[in-house]
Amino acid sequence: MRRCLVCAKKEPERPCVECRYFVQQGPLRRVPSPPVRVILEDEHGKQYPAHILVLNTTEFGLETEAPVPGRYVIRLQESLWVEVAGVPFRGKNNVRLFDILCVHRKQETASRLNNDEYQLLAGNAGELVQEITRHLPEHLQDLVREKLLAEIEKSELINALRVGKVMKYEGGRFRFLSGQVDLELPMEEAEKLMRQVTRQGTHQREVIISADGKNIFDLHGVPFDHRSGGLLAFDVTEVIEKERRMHQLEMQAYREAIAAVTGGRLYLVNGEEIEKVVSEGTELAKGEVWQTHDLPEARQAIRDALPVLDNRSWHAIALCLSEALTNTLKHAGGGCWQVRQSGDAVRIIVQDRGPGIKTSELAQATLMQHYSTKNSMGCGFTLMLYYADYLYLNTGPSGTTLVLDFGIRTAER
Amino acid sequence: MLKVDVYVARGVCRVVLNGELDMETIAQLQEVVGKVGEHTLEVDLSGVSFVDSTGLKSLLDINNDWRQKGGQMLILRPQPDVAEVMRLVGLDRLLA
Repeated sequence: MRRCLVCAKKEPERPCVECRYFVQQGPLRRVPSPPVRVILEDEHGKQYPAHILVLNTTEFGLETEAPVPGRYVIRLQESLWVEVAGVPFRGKNNVRLFDILCVHRKQETASRLNNDEYQLLAGNAGELVQEITRHLPEHLQDLVREKLLAEIEKSELINALRVGKVMKYEGGRFRFLSGQVDLELPMEEAEKLMRQVTRQGTHQREVIISADGKNIFDLHGVPFDHRSGGLLAFDVTEVIEKERRMHQLEMQAYREAIAAVTGGRLYLVNGEEIEKVVSEGTELAKGEVWQTHDLPEARQAIRDALPVLDNRSWHAIALCLSEALTNTLKHAGGGCWQVRQSGDAVRIIVQDRGPGIKTSELAQATLMQHYSTKNSMGCGFTLMLYYADYLYLNTGPSGTTLVLDFGIRTAER
Repeated sequence: MLKVDVYVARGVCRVVLNGELDMETIAQLQEVVGKVGEHTLEVDLSGVSFVDSTGLKSLLDINNDWRQKGGQMLILRPQPDVAEVMRLVGLDRLLA
């Protein structure tokens, strides 16, 4: 009992999840990642949001502002809810230990979580999928696992959409109807939206970022008549964050695969990394391409800037520059190029503000010979991968930057 | 820059190219070849110092048109760098 009080004083920053004393150690102690979000409801129906930070089959370590001691109900699914009671003096700040008093299922009650409930709460989707697919024929296992995990990922995305708030707007005032009481909306913007909705008599939608920039709300206004309407608000902060993380993971997978397939010569890099790459070394020449006649001029400018190159090196650089600039003309209508010297390498940089290469087409566009979305041979990248020593690619809806590095061999004198 | 010369003898049309073949110059080659009526077309690349994949694509298109018409197209004497690029994209099969 004293232990948590002492810890709160001496080590207020130390997370309870790391503490062996907080939720009993044992093979069934799990830390779900990310923490599972639940709602605690007291006997009067008052709701408190909470996160399950750590659990075993009989205890939850929750982060919540719900008062302790106190008894609450956590609804996990329609026909599954858990009664819990806060344990005084266990935990600190807003992290508290709750005993599982009773688990209610469709037709039975129990004093602890069963294996499936525990596994799902413990965030063991991966293990669960492994277990389920263990008896499938071997050649199908990977395929089914991949599909199941993708489905789980999707459902997690839907769970991350916080059910919002429903309010009635009438005569310039809002009245709470249902949903999350504690969802703090930017009311000024909400009122502006509802004024427009009632004035124009049409449904309108607005995505608004809170003043502190921490939350993103999706607001829907529906007119009832000329002075009243309904406001439906969702907190989409986590959904957007989760989508961003999923995209990052997807890109990471592409990066690793492409780097591996090209023997570590082609790198997909992010905006920050490409900034660093394009600023290294010293500039020798630069120019722009907007018309086809700019292509031979760019090749000539590079020849003039690198007079000491042997013929084979010059041909390699001129060809790669030509391929990159042709792509820029075809897909983005034009762009700019630069040649720099960085250490003992010549670096060609080609940048455009086109629509970028779609993530779904990145692997084909860069690795597959004769793959082309335009009427071309689709072997530009094949040639660039053959002639350049290293390639760095950054692509997105606001443009593409391609950097090619060549080791220098000077002409025999 | 591309210079295109055409020589016709005994049912064979030889197109001699000098310069560079890329997105800027392929139209010149296509225009000349479009007027050729002979059964056999020879494209002499000995004077071509530079070809990129857009240039090679136009040679491939001309070859496909020619074969559809029941004719024959051959590419002659590419310089080493150009021959290497042709080999890399699988067009060396068009070499005479």
